[in-house]
Parts: sequence; C-alpha cells; structure tokens
Amino acid sequence: MSLSAELHVASRYLVGTRRWTPVVTVTLISLFGLGLGVFALVVTLALLDGFQSGIRSQIVAHASHAEIWPAAGRRIEEPEKLASLLQGALGDVEIVQMVRGTCLVSSDTDAVPASVIGRSDTDRVTVDRILSRRLGVASGDRVEVISARQRLTPMGPLPVRIRTEIARISTPEPGAESGEVVLPIERAQRLLWGERVIEAIELREKADPWTLGQRARKVLDEAGVAVRVAGLEELHRPLLTALALEKIMIFVAVGLMLVVAALNLLCNVAMVAAEKRKDLAVMAGLGFSPSSLRRLFLVLGLSIGLVGSVAGAVLGSGLAFVLDRTGALELPQGVFMVTAVPFSIDPMTVGLVVAVALGLAALAAWLPARMVARREPSEGLRYE
Amino acid sequence: MSESSSMVRATGLSKGFGAGLTRVEVIQELDLEVATGEMVAVVGPSGVGKSTLLHLIGLLDRPELGRIVLDGVQTDDLEPDARAELRNCDIGFVFQHHHLLEELDALDNVALPVRIAGEKGRVARDRAAGLLDAVGLSDRASHFPDQLSGGEQQRVSVARALAMRPKLLLADEPTGNLDSANAERLFQLVTELHLKAGLTSIIVTHNEEMARRCDRIFRLARRADLSENVRKI
Ligand SMILES: Nc1ncnc2c1ncn2[C@@H]1O[C@H](COP(=O)(O)OP(=O)(O)OP(=O)(O)O)[C@@H](O)[C@H]1O
Ligand SMILES: [Mg+2]
Repeated sequence: MSLSAELHVASRYLVGTRRWTPVVTVTLISLFGLGLGVFALVVTLALLDGFQSGIRSQIVAHASHAEIWPAAGRRIEEPEKLASLLQGALGDVEIVQMVRGTCLVSSDTDAVPASVIGRSDTDRVTVDRILSRRLGVASGDRVEVISARQRLTPMGPLPVRIRTEIARISTPEPGAESGEVVLPIERAQRLLWGERVIEAIELREKADPWTLGQRARKVLDEAGVAVRVAGLEELHRPLLTALALEKIMIFVAVGLMLVVAALNLLCNVAMVAAEKRKDLAVMAGLGFSPSSLRRLFLVLGLSIGLVGSVAGAVLGSGLAFVLDRTGALELPQGVFMVTAVPFSIDPMTVGLVVAVALGLAALAAWLPARMVARREPSEGLRYE
Repeated sequence: MSESSSMVRATGLSKGFGAGLTRVEVIQELDLEVATGEMVAVVGPSGVGKSTLLHLIGLLDRPELGRIVLDGVQTDDLEPDARAELRNCDIGFVFQHHHLLEELDALDNVALPVRIAGEKGRVARDRAAGLLDAVGLSDRASHFPDQLSGGEQQRVSVARALAMRPKLLLADEPTGNLDSANAERLFQLVTELHLKAGLTSIIVTHNEEMARRCDRIFRLARRADLSENVRKI
C-alpha cells in the first residue's frame, strides 16, 4: 500500500492551497483547539508533577527508604549478621537499628505517655514538638522517662527510669498525635527490654531509594532470613496512592478539553467532507478505494492532530520550564515547602498526552471518513 | 459478436432513484454491448439517463438489476476496493463537468490517477507531462483549473482519463460546454486518442453530427415516449 495519493491530496488541501478556503479556516480552528487542549493538559500536569515530586523528595529526604521487621515475634535474630549481609550485597546502605515502645515521660510539672524510639544513629535525646508542648519543656531541660518494665530493688519492684537532658526539639510527622522521644538505642534497650534487643531495622540509600526495599527483600529471601521488608512505596502507600489518584483525576478532568477539541475536529472534518464532496466523488471515480478515502481523512485528521498536539506540547512544556526556572509564580512565604510554584516536565506524561490527542484526532477523522467511504462515487458527481 | 471480443456487456440493467412517490425509474431493462475497439455514441434527450448509464458502466454506481461485464470481468459481485481498482486501471472517465480538482494544477490533476495506483510522484508527473503534451497543453502544466478555459479544462480532463492507459474510455458530454470550434477540436482529439491507444469508447453527446462520426449510435429514449410512438404507429 502506498500513501502517495492520499498524502499528496491531503497536503494540497491543508497547505498547498492558493486561496483562503473554508478548509484552511476550519483546519486552523481545529489546530488551535487541539493545541490549546494539549497545552493546558501539559501545563496542568507539569504543575501537578512539580508539587508531587516536591512531596516525593521530601519523603525521600526525611523518611527511611526501607524497613525490616521480624516475621514472627518482636525481636530480630542475629541483627549483626543481617546487617553485614545487607551491606555486603547492597553496598553503600545506611543501616539503623531500632527498638520501640511506650513510656511515661515526665517533667517537673506533668507526666505524659509517649512513644519511645531507640535508634542506633543518634547519641542525643530528641523530643518532638507535641510532647515538648504538653510537658512545657524546651531543649536543655531535663525529663524523666519511666518504663512499664520493673526491676527488683531493695525497696521492692520499681519501674525502670532514666533522667536525661533534651538535646533537640523535632517537628512531628504530619498527622502525628502522640508525642515521641528518640533516644540512643542502648538507653532505649535498657528502658524497654533490659537487654540488647533489636526490633526493627531501617535502611537508607542515596543511589536509588525507591527500589531499595525490593533489593533488600531479594537479598534476605535468598539468604533465607525470616523477616518482613517494606520499601518506600509500601511505607507510604496511602500518600502515594492519593498522589497517583490525583494525577489520574486531573488527567481525566482536564483531558475532557481534548475530547471537546476532538469533537470540534470531527465537525470540521465533516465540514470538509461536505465541502469537498464533489472532489471526493471524483477521486473515487479515478480509483480511490473506500479504504484510501478513509486513509485520506485519517491523514488529514492526524496531521492536524500531530501539528496541534506537538505545538501545544512544546509551548506547554516551554511555559512550564520557564515558570519553573524563573520562579515567576511566587507562593506566600512559610505556607509551603517551596517559595514559588514548581513545575516538573515528565516526558512520559507529555508523550501520553500527545498520544491521547493523536488517538482522539484519528477517531474524529475516522467517523466522517466512514460516512464518505460508504457512498457510491456517483452520488457526489451530479451537480456542478 | 463473441464474448471475448466485447469490452462492455450490460444485460437487463435497471436503475431508478428515490422511493415511494418521488421514485423515478431512469433505466429499465437496458441491454448494451460494445465491442473491443468500438467507438459508440450515446444520444438521447436531457434527463433520459445518459449520465446514469455511463456511471453504471464506469462502476461509479451500482445497478438495481442486471449485470455488467467489462472485458470478461463480472463486476457486480466485486468488493468496493476491487471496483475502485478497475476504475483506476481499466476505465478512463471524462465527467460531464470537467471536475478537475481546484487545489491541484493541471499536471497534478492528470497525475492523480497514477498516484492513486501507487506510483511515486515523479513517475506520475512524468507520465502526466507526456499526456498534457498529447492534448496540446504542455505549456499550461502548472496552471490551476480556474486559470484554464473551458476547452482547456476539458482537454486536461481527457488527459486525466487516459493517465492509466485504460481499455475503456467513458466520456459524458465532453464537448457539452464548448463553442463549436473548441468542441470540434476536442472531439477530434478524442477520436485520435481512441485510435492511437486502441481504446473502446462510449461517448455521450447531444451533437448528432459528431454522433454520426462514431462507429455506432446508441439511442436512449424514455419508456413513455417509446410506448407513445408505438401507439401512433
Ligand atoms: N441521485 C439522483 N436522485 C434522484 N434523481 C436522479 C438522481 N440521479 C439522476 N436522477 C434523475 O435521473 C434522470 C436521468 O439523469 P441523467 O443525469 O442520467 O440524465 P442525462 O441523460 O445525463 O441528462 P443530461 O443530458 O441533461 O445530462 C433525471 O431525471 C434525473 O433527475
Ligand atoms: Mg448527463
């Protein structure tokens, strides 16, 4: 099959024309509509991606990239062996050992229950802002952490307790309700267990945080270690699902613009079909088969679609790029993590938008084309 | 006439338009056989169905009844694509109004059937240039239809009909809109090309003098007129 005749005629209809014909006008309108739709979709999705990638990089910066728990029970057996196994297989990973529990934290004035977390990567005591407010303490003040575990003393059983100075006040995770104390792991182990128990292991890595969980799971599975491993995706599933859902919803909602543009293209192609009815009949008479006629319209629709959507995509990406670089859209200080509206251009997303636009354009051209191709050639020939 | 030597064999053709009260029967049970190499003139009053008949033979329309065999090929059961290929390769059609494509210049108009056949643009344009030369219009190749006179347009249209070197030339009043000098010139051109290319031609005309110069005249008359004549006799 050769497209030679279809392309030739289509190109003459669209660009080779000598006069300002209705075909040219409707073509320009269709182009504009489709380009505008693609433009809007690309800019909107770049804006969304900008905010979302901000959120994702916050997650990567502040949260652990993978976590390991025992498959059964509370303690991880032979944590040192596990750590060296991971370090051997994954190279440059940061490994943090942890214990967790609940204790009573008291200042001079009040006592509040709080989560206690022991971490091997700290030697200071950090209290989050929730707890510091409830207790009325600041960094440099002293608090007492009292465990539910008891120890036999000459005065009878007494709860295990430590007194410590607060080194730092931290910002709680969004949505956190109960206060939190982070201790060096040895002190937490003494409070909660009285022996060197590891309950969980956190992993962090610079190179490829999003797949760390998978790779760690593979290593540990192969070594036959009975643990559960959660990667970034699992650790933040609700948030990430919400982000993905948000993107899909916006795509569909703004994508409706493309549907409207495609309907406009359909009307315009149908108008071309009516306007050029005699020509189409003549071409059929000269041997254009119904399938060639359909292809002619497909070429018309697709070239409008291609030019419109590529122009829209280029302009949209360009605008997003410029706005991102110059930070022209400033945000109120202190409300967001960023100072100007961020844009992020994802080539996959742009490609998808262009593909959807092209698909819709093809569909819009196909429907009138089917109508045209069904007619007998003589029907268009009768009147001059 | 043996079957092998007939280019067109139409039997029992019927074609009408519309339905119910607005129904018009145009062609009823018409038989027509044209031998290979023959040049037949079709004459008859306006509205009698000359164009309709030519459209049926040229596979531009389908008869409601009857069969059309072109050069031994039974055409009625062919798929639309196969009919299109026959129109492209074996049939050259000169329309009643020249029907050139406005967006294409003379050369591209003539080259169009060749492009439709799938040839490269260069091949098509070379072939078209030769044909324009044959109809005496090589100097008007890059003119667009609206820059050509009626006679020139019709000659381009003849060149286009012959672009694929068809076996059958169907011309629907090719001289209809021309003054007598131009009409004569075009008719001579068609006759000349008919002989040179060994065509079989069916030419619709209102011009009795030209019709007589063809090998045979096929007269179309209204059914009503026919029966009236019969009654008068
Ligand atoms: N598509 C159609 N719908 C309705 N009527 C039609 C249609 N095509 C042709 N006719 C009718 O069929 C009859 C024959 O038309 P046709 O064009 O074949 O006549 P003709 O002999 O070529 O006339 P002329 O010499 O004026 O060209 C006319 O009465 C015309 O009105
Ligand atoms: Mg006619």
